[in-house]
Amino acid sequence: MSDPLLYFWFFVKASLFSSGGTGNLPSLHADLITAGFATESQFAESLTIGQLAPGPNGLWSVSLGYLTGGWGGAALALIAALLPPFLILAVERLYRRIESHPAVEGFVRGLSLAIVGVFVVILGRLLLSGAGGMDYRSLLLVLLAIGLASIRRVPIFAIIALAGGAGILLYR
Amino acid sequence: MTDVTDVTDVTVEETEAAAPPVSSLRFLGIWLLLGAQSFGGGSVVLAMIRRAAVEEYGWISETEFNRDWALIQLAPGINLIALTILIGRRVLGRKGVALALAGLILPSAFLTVLLTALYVRFSGRAEVRAALRGVLPVTVGLGLRTAWLMALPLLRGSARESQGSFVLSLFLLLGSGAAAVVWVGLPVVLLLCGAGAIAALHRLLRTAAGGRAEGL
Repeated sequence: MSDPLLYFWFFVKASLFSSGGTGNLPSLHADLITAGFATESQFAESLTIGQLAPGPNGLWSVSLGYLTGGWGGAALALIAALLPPFLILAVERLYRRIESHPAVEGFVRGLSLAIVGVFVVILGRLLLSGAGGMDYRSLLLVLLAIGLASIRRVPIFAIIALAGGAGILLYR
Repeated sequence: MTDVTDVTDVTVEETEAAAPPVSSLRFLGIWLLLGAQSFGGGSVVLAMIRRAAVEEYGWISETEFNRDWALIQLAPGINLIALTILIGRRVLGRKGVALALAGLILPSAFLTVLLTALYVRFSGRAEVRAALRGVLPVTVGLGLRTAWLMALPLLRGSARESQGSFVLSLFLLLGSGAAAVVWVGLPVVLLLCGAGAIAALHRLLRTAAGGRAEGL
């Protein structure tokens, strides 16, 4: 990380223009890769680790921070994730006055739709760029994950653990 | 809705003025526990927070929780952090915000870094590489499902409004994806805000038209 301030700003910006979870992925992906702060595989790795770790999903960026900037990077990523949600205090105050203004609702919906659109494209890129690329086995694992996650009883952690086991069996 | 909000405000002030419903140390302890055992991602954490704040300790009512949940959809960044800020403030004011956030985030952030450090240390091993090669597609699969779950209520909501809204929503969803594929150097924030602006404009026009002609 050659420019900590810019690095920090990228994380803040990503959080500012996302609505939680992995919604900060599109912006971070574009900025960090263009600036040479991160590689495609670091994104794949930190997203994976973020799934394993406890807490809100959005904390995957802390893992990305550690991979790209060590403890300092992780700390910056964490602070960047904590700051924008404080705007909820302003939102709450504003909400009392304008309740739900149609333009606000519309903006949030448009923003969220675009995040989903870009998000899916990035997921596709991650799958293609992962170690060994995409093959029928990885496609099968994608479908298996969707199926298992749709069963409410199966915890995400168990799915990830299963995936690790499957990886060792399939790719070792 | 205004009435509900006003009543809530009075409650907050009263809560802050009267004896706090829980001691600081205990409050921190409860959130630390939530943070440390919240494996399984957002929906799990949300369910745990709800159970603790509404059912177990009765810090806030179900109505308040639901209103907070709706509000945090409008705040940027991680929703659960915004929710934690609101609940912390309701219970113990500013101190409550700091304690609840520290409790929720510090253990999970630390464990996240620890896992990453372990990964860096052992990533050279063939088994670790193979295991992660299996986990990546599963992560993508879980992400696709999340994307689907995020898009579904948005599409349903707009379909309920009008056919035009639904078509616009589909266009924004697919169009932004297509733009990300085709236009590689496009600033993502610009794309996201552009989609937001289009939807906001559409909603404004629709409201204006609806004011004149009922039932549109």
